[in-house]
Amino acid sequence: MIDPFYVLLWILRLAFLAGIYVVLWAIARALLRDIRGAARDPVGSLGRLVVVAAAGEDPPAGADFPLDAVTTIGRDLGCGIVLDDPFASTEHAALTYRGRAWYVEDLGSTNGTFVNGAPVEGPTPLGFGDELQVGEVRLRLERPRR
Amino acid sequence: MTVLAARPAAAARPRLRRRELGLLVLVGLTLFAGSLGLGATTTGRLVPAGAGHLAVYLAALLAVHAALVLGGRRADEILLPAVGLLGGIGLLLALRLPQDLVTQRYGGLELGLADLQLAWLVLALGVAGFLGLVVRSDRWLRLYKYTWALGGIALLLLTFALGEDTNGSRLTLSIGPFSGQPSELLKVILVVFFAAYLAENRPLLADARIRVLGPISVPPPRYLLPILAMLGLALSIVVVQRDLGAALLFYATFLVLLYAATGRLSDVGLGLVLVVVGGIVLYFLYPHVRTRIDIWLDPWADPLGAGYQTIQALHAFARGGIFGTGLGAGLPAIGGQLPIPAVHTDFPLAALGEELGLVGVLGVLGLYLVVVERGLRIGAAAADDFRALLSVGLAAVVAVQAFIIAGGVLKLVPLTGITLPFISYGGSSLLANALVVGLLLALSDRGDPEPPPPPRPPGRVARLLHAGGAR
Amino acid sequence: MSAAGGMNRGTTGAFGGRAAQPDRRERPLGGRIARIGLVLALAFGGLALGAGYWGVLRADELASDPTDAGVVAASRGAVRGRILDRDGRVLASSKRDANGEPYRVYADPSISGVVGYASRQYGSAGLEREYAAELLGVRPDDPVSRLFAKLRPQAGSRSDLRTSLSLTLQRLAVRLLGDDRGAVVMLDPRTGDVLVLASTPTFDASAIADPATSAAAFAAVQADPARPLVNRATLGRYVPGSVFKLVTATAALGSNAITPNTTFAEQPAAEKSGLLVSGFRVRDGHHAFTGSTALDLLGATEVSCNIYFALAGLRTGGAELTAWADRLGFDAQIPFDLPTAASQLTNGGGNLPGGFGDDVELANAAYGQGEVLVTPLQMALVGASIANGGLLMKPRLAAAFVDASGNVRRLEPEPWRLVLPSVSNEALRQAMIRAVEGEHGRLFTTGAQVPGVVVAGKSGTAQLGGTGEPHSWFVGFAPAENPEVVIAVLVERGGRGGERAAPLAGDVLRAYFGKP
Repeated sequence: MIDPFYVLLWILRLAFLAGIYVVLWAIARALLRDIRGAARDPVGSLGRLVVVAAAGEDPPAGADFPLDAVTTIGRDLGCGIVLDDPFASTEHAALTYRGRAWYVEDLGSTNGTFVNGAPVEGPTPLGFGDELQVGEVRLRLERPRR
Repeated sequence: MTVLAARPAAAARPRLRRRELGLLVLVGLTLFAGSLGLGATTTGRLVPAGAGHLAVYLAALLAVHAALVLGGRRADEILLPAVGLLGGIGLLLALRLPQDLVTQRYGGLELGLADLQLAWLVLALGVAGFLGLVVRSDRWLRLYKYTWALGGIALLLLTFALGEDTNGSRLTLSIGPFSGQPSELLKVILVVFFAAYLAENRPLLADARIRVLGPISVPPPRYLLPILAMLGLALSIVVVQRDLGAALLFYATFLVLLYAATGRLSDVGLGLVLVVVGGIVLYFLYPHVRTRIDIWLDPWADPLGAGYQTIQALHAFARGGIFGTGLGAGLPAIGGQLPIPAVHTDFPLAALGEELGLVGVLGVLGLYLVVVERGLRIGAAAADDFRALLSVGLAAVVAVQAFIIAGGVLKLVPLTGITLPFISYGGSSLLANALVVGLLLALSDRGDPEPPPPPRPPGRVARLLHAGGAR
Repeated sequence: MSAAGGMNRGTTGAFGGRAAQPDRRERPLGGRIARIGLVLALAFGGLALGAGYWGVLRADELASDPTDAGVVAASRGAVRGRILDRDGRVLASSKRDANGEPYRVYADPSISGVVGYASRQYGSAGLEREYAAELLGVRPDDPVSRLFAKLRPQAGSRSDLRTSLSLTLQRLAVRLLGDDRGAVVMLDPRTGDVLVLASTPTFDASAIADPATSAAAFAAVQADPARPLVNRATLGRYVPGSVFKLVTATAALGSNAITPNTTFAEQPAAEKSGLLVSGFRVRDGHHAFTGSTALDLLGATEVSCNIYFALAGLRTGGAELTAWADRLGFDAQIPFDLPTAASQLTNGGGNLPGGFGDDVELANAAYGQGEVLVTPLQMALVGASIANGGLLMKPRLAAAFVDASGNVRRLEPEPWRLVLPSVSNEALRQAMIRAVEGEHGRLFTTGAQVPGVVVAGKSGTAQLGGTGEPHSWFVGFAPAENPEVVIAVLVERGGRGGERAAPLAGDVLRAYFGKP
């Protein structure tokens, strides 16, 4: 009554349709994983700048700035780290993470940038624990919070 | 896609694209199952149909994959498999349809529908792979936008003047053995132009607006003019050539990009009002527009004449039901003729609806949505306006085209004669969509793990990175 | 769809390249993109719904349509199920020719107008066409057998069609019509079952279906000036004459323009001189024996008084007349297994309500002349409405499908319209009883009586103008107190109603009730 060949035929046809959906599902899974990954991937997993001292209360000592691979520091609101310090320039300095090391460069600020007290000329390496001074704000580079 | 010219060209490190490979394997298995089913249906034995064609196609897909791997590009890994599955379904359909729908002779070789479709697919994959690999800078797109646009329009005019006349409209241009539809290419060119123009002038268009009526404001005409002129030129040509599908496609894509650039819903609203008004004007002006709209509203008023195509397509969906009749088992031939005319170009979705059923059609729609989502996400993550708008525009052009033809086949919108991307037979269509895919792949390249610096202003930060790289 | 800053780390954190410009690009563009994506997703959702609509909701209707490519392809060279009458007699079946190819054979020419034919070259018509999908098994009825049909190489799931037709009565009707052109419709008012749907001249469907003779037979049938392919019962439109008074009465009673006891004072006088309506004289004069008595509804029906009904029609008015006629099925195609033509009250375009040109036309229409055109099926339905207490059932031919395994799918009778409430309906019934059984009524409906059964009815003589006989009509039902059958008879150019139509109806009714 039921021809086995036709059963096989229909299994093949359904397998084709199923295959399309398996591909769609695999894609969806990858998309979801990406979304979750992006959410779980917090900014600042490379390092943080912790405020050591500042003139006045802003920013407060102990405040924590997460760092991206390239972060600008300055008074301008477009900077990654905004310091409302009168001695800081609009775009004061930039921190970059290259080849597993941190570098800081002065962006032509009026009052200069200092690493552990020494003035920064070109790209200067910055290690964890080193202190950075921008205007009257002193920040310390810390390892990322796990 | 890194832009900085000053940056020394790093040697391309091959980068594994595991996800893409995995998806491609799944795609290959699925297409193989489809081929087996088709073969079993047509021959009664368990042999894959068109095994050679399928093998060549999968090899081409893997070749593009390999090229991207070797090129070390960090382009999107989902786009190629999704498009690959769509193209594969189109190839299976071409294998299933009578081969003599389209024939060409080369020397002593006679090529049928599937052979030609395969050739175009391989060529298209090559173009897409090439673009994805090689395009690293968008300058040539952005700076020469007027050149591209005018060149496309010139091609269109050329077709208008010299093209072949089919059913009263001149859409195809033949140069020697090659023939194509420039309107397909023009859609990509227009997207590039719109994206470039809107990106450049976005602040002017979005902010310096002229209040017209209450909350409705329009961009200052001075800045809107060039882009409207280009759009108007393209539209008038296609309307005169009676390629209403292309006109709709250009216009809708333009609206999407306009909204993406300015964010003003009033612009979109105005655009919709214009299209409705335009449609009404055309309805009364051109009898063929009137026919199309009348048929859309009631195809059974002229079941043997103008409404025949639509009715046959709807019957095909009805015969398919939920799971379809199976690849190769549907499309009952009446006197040797397929029930649906032009099924390989305009109506592949109806054939899919009959043979793959509702499940298959939903799957295909899902694949289109994947392609569109990828394009939109690439746009959202793009580093600057032009690249964002370009990605969004490319995604939109695929989405809108698929919607227009699918909607026409399903009697949701009036029927127009444009192709279903990646699935319809047609060299120009496949190549144009290959351009889209290639550009999206290029745009999605995340480059090296370090993010690109902003293109403007080059200056301190650029010097910084340059110096850092040199270390 | 994440907004900007989701995937690419490069754009998180700000690049303050544009000094004074606030960071507007990042979030809004992402939001806009998300919105664009949402709109596109909704558009594709619409496509999905559309695909579902055509692939699931309307699928059965389209795939069973006789014009569907699947049905057409299957009907070539496939064996169809049989068509049976209400008693199980075979009306249509398949035989194989010398090459083993199947072709159709039919019981006799009397059923050709209903059952139609299925021919390899000339397509199909009638029930063979309408139910091709079921007869061929293109779409098995239930989902389970549909599923199993796909697992078998051939769709062996064709069904037999059991109709409500009665072969014996159909043969009789055609025989009685003889050489005259005409139609007979007999149906069961309680269920809508059609027992007889005869149309003459008829044709030989077997000759068309038989490949050896089909070409010649089809050519002959097409060339015949009497147009035997047109089923006069469903598609023929004729002047009804007095049978239309049933419709006028329905409208007059339904709109409360008259009651069964209403009389018109001017009616007796107008019998002699005619009724003056806007300068035109409506003439009667065929029931002088009623003298100067003003007739009520029952009396007027019994003697078929034109004056009474003209007055009743004028009092009812064009709008109400049209409304009630439409309730009975006028001005639209009657839903039926075969194609039907719409009956009309007027050609329209007039200024009076209902489209009548003037009072004269309305008056003439009210007694069945004017521009009124009816199909015999429509008149049978008028009778059915009265017979069934005002509940009009949908007429039907297909009663059940029986598949190869013996599963029966019964089609249920469908109520169609509620016309007159039973009190008014009762009056009409009494009027129709008087018209057949009454002392005067008998004179007009000679031959319609059945011994032992009370028959109710109305005859009609449709004047066509000029020379030549009028059409002969009769509409009736029996047994009058509990009607089982309604019959409508039309004989083209048959003379007065009582000459041809009424006796023919009587013969068929007698056969039905098993009386000599």
